[in-house]
Amino acid sequence: MAFVELAGITAGYVRDNPVLKGFHLEVGKGELLSLLGPSGCGKTTTLRTIAGFIIAQAGTVMIGGKDVTTVPPNKRNIGLVFQNYALFPHLTVFENVAYGLKRRKVERPEIRRRVADVLEMVSLTGLERRLPAQLSGGQRQRVALARSIVIEPDLLLLDEPLSNLDAKLRDEMRAELSRLQHQLNITMIYVTHDQIEALSLSSKIVVMNGGDIEQIGTPEEIYENPATPFVARFMGFDNRLVGTVTASSDSGVVVRSGESEFNCCRTRGEGLQTGDEVYLFFRPRDAVFSLEATENTLPVTVNYTNYHGSTTLYAASSGDQSIAVVMPGKPTDLSSYTKVHIPADRLIVERRPNHE
Amino acid sequence: MKQPRFPAVLFGLTLVFLLGPFVVILLSSFSADSIMRFPPSGFSLEWYQKVFNIRMFRTTFWISLKTGLAATFTALALGVPVAYALVRYSFRGKTALEVFFSSPAIVPGLVIGFSLLRFFIFVTKVPIGMGLYFGHTAILFPYAVRVVSASLRNFDPAVEEAAVSLGSTRLHTFFAVVVPNVRSGLVAAFILAFITSFNNVPISLFLTGPGVATLPIQMLVYMEYYFDPTISALSSIIIVFTILIVQGAERALGITNYL
Amino acid sequence: MNQLNLKRTLTLLILPGAIFLLLFFLVPLLFVFAESFRDAEGALTLARYGEVLSDRQFRHVYLRTLKIALIVTPLAVLLGYPSAYVIVRLPVGRKSLLMSLVILPLMTSPVARTFAWIVVLGRFGIVNETLRALRLVQEPARLLYTEGAIVVGLLQLFLPIMVLTLVSALENVQDDVEEAALSLGSSRLGSFFRVLVPLSYDGLIMGVTLVFTGCITAYVTPAILGGTKVLTLATLMRLESLVLMNWEAGTVIAVVMIVTTLVLYNGLRIYRPRNL
Repeated sequence: MAFVELAGITAGYVRDNPVLKGFHLEVGKGELLSLLGPSGCGKTTTLRTIAGFIIAQAGTVMIGGKDVTTVPPNKRNIGLVFQNYALFPHLTVFENVAYGLKRRKVERPEIRRRVADVLEMVSLTGLERRLPAQLSGGQRQRVALARSIVIEPDLLLLDEPLSNLDAKLRDEMRAELSRLQHQLNITMIYVTHDQIEALSLSSKIVVMNGGDIEQIGTPEEIYENPATPFVARFMGFDNRLVGTVTASSDSGVVVRSGESEFNCCRTRGEGLQTGDEVYLFFRPRDAVFSLEATENTLPVTVNYTNYHGSTTLYAASSGDQSIAVVMPGKPTDLSSYTKVHIPADRLIVERRPNHE
Repeated sequence: MKQPRFPAVLFGLTLVFLLGPFVVILLSSFSADSIMRFPPSGFSLEWYQKVFNIRMFRTTFWISLKTGLAATFTALALGVPVAYALVRYSFRGKTALEVFFSSPAIVPGLVIGFSLLRFFIFVTKVPIGMGLYFGHTAILFPYAVRVVSASLRNFDPAVEEAAVSLGSTRLHTFFAVVVPNVRSGLVAAFILAFITSFNNVPISLFLTGPGVATLPIQMLVYMEYYFDPTISALSSIIIVFTILIVQGAERALGITNYL
Repeated sequence: MNQLNLKRTLTLLILPGAIFLLLFFLVPLLFVFAESFRDAEGALTLARYGEVLSDRQFRHVYLRTLKIALIVTPLAVLLGYPSAYVIVRLPVGRKSLLMSLVILPLMTSPVARTFAWIVVLGRFGIVNETLRALRLVQEPARLLYTEGAIVVGLLQLFLPIMVLTLVSALENVQDDVEEAALSLGSSRLGSFFRVLVPLSYDGLIMGVTLVFTGCITAYVTPAILGGTKVLTLATLMRLESLVLMNWEAGTVIAVVMIVTTLVLYNGLRIYRPRNL
């Protein structure tokens, strides 16, 4: 049975216009589940509903088999890590971490022991007497983490915890979080808008959009097989071609886009038939400039290049459609290359919604 | 950026205009003359002695002090919860409430004092000291709400949520987490409100009577009968204290940011 | 938080304060307002307004009060802008010191502050003695108990308010905006009028509103520097109600004062595009 279960949740900030409408979600024990999506997709609302800061207008929240729908947040035993750390500015590192234990009337020697343990776990030993203002961003995030895990919560909720850190620190903290999760075997729900974070940390990812779930799956499933155009765009299928199905069989479909024909073996949208209007999605890295290839090619003109160090981005156009191609290495003169090749298994076909 | 000369000169003259009279009154308070004359013909501490010898100044000073402290505490006790509600929650009618709670600062003090007097006479049996206390509390309300709101707005609500998620009740969170972090705002509100009450004339004018007057009212009464540097001396004392308080509050709290 | 809890929390937080202000602020105001429309028997009447508004002395005092406000306000703008301009350019420490000096007239007891002008403007005060020493006058000029004395006193009181609002308005203007204007070939004066003034416009209107309404309702300054010789609306109201015990007139003047203030307060809001 699921450890956390949201059933038919309707919740939000404005009563007449809830962000979530009849929302369902299950999280297994010991799982690290990411809620991934752009801002306004409902991921933070979901998190705050689980934490108890938003009381659902309808539906139930179950944690560990108990109905906590109307239990106030201070009685839920949930650890919470905030985007901006939310440390108590007037308390030292030690006092910050000890706060939850004091509220639980833990004996002083026990508090000292547990705080020391958890500070060691996040490598902050020696900084007990510092105030938050005297810490670096990474250290603050560690204090926030220590403060929320020292109370041995049933569930740890993290709201974009790494978004205020610079890139290098972010990688470090990501590894640290991953290590802690394995060490403590705690159930975590992790809100983020960064797909790399979600892919590298999670055991399961929930991609959300407009208050609904677009797709649930393992990082690999989400990355390789996005179920909807939205997830595809979010997972880096940045190129989109407009086309029409010209043939279909059990193994795939053939799509015509402009003058080009593409064999595609990965289709979305059940039962595509000849004549259906579709989108073709592919990642900039999956397209290659080619002289030899004859099938699955698109005639292009390179408009400009953008050097990124280890890779180079080529902005190209084909008819009135523009595409991006990323190739390893520095910019090279590709004026003789007039085609890009996209392998059949790198293309995703989605039915084009009628209203577009 | 380099300061252009013309505005700087004008600013200097403005400062002289704003502060010059204070220097003049300080000098005149040490005068040996019994009429207001400048420059004074000699030095004496006579007027300071006189200030402390006049019983009415002592009595009314204590009344001002007590009224100011009582009104300030009441305004803060009632105003801080209001400020918290207005900053932390959104609800229907919030803008109207904001206007309501700031309106004692917009409606002329003289009109408030006059209305309270007429109302208290109508209701009867409101002792004159109580009326003074109620009136002062009403006009301090906007200060309490505005200043405390400003510092609450600078305090991240996520910190409160962190405390709640760690097991605090909302009430405990307020005293253990919010209050220590908006302390300078609370102190600033206290100082501003107290000074406002202590200096107030328009409300007190109507709500004082025989036996119960505040220091500023007593000074006005004295000026109607005597025209010697006693008031200079008393004013000098008040001005020096004000300078000390304002400078101290600016150093410690940056009080000008709350005005 | 759910709706029921929210309602209960808000009630607990707001109700005590609201009841207090209702009882000791709003109800008395409405009471006086209602009283101004009733005669001795309690019947509705406009007679009291007719009596006061047709009085020549009242109209004279009312116009004088407006005139004083109309002189003080532009002077406050004229002196306030350069001061605010200088202050926002200062380093934090000196800015804080100068701000605390500028606000002194606001924080000092109005009686003490105004009394200082008696020493300055009196018969044997510093101004008259200087004029005499320079042989510009034979006899001491009468400076006290004039409209001019009231203007000077009010300007000292309200200039700090103007400076405060302008400083906070100019602080919201990014430093580099003026530099940008200068780099594009504007003169300093040109960039001041074409860039800084429009960008701090809301603050200016707010300052003008506060100073103008303040001048109309100020009591201590005209009481000491104008006395009973040069009455303003505020000193007239006190004279009628507390000295002549003419409560009816006091009531009407109170209503006139509050209506004037609110009309100005909301009228000038039209010039405030954003809500301040």
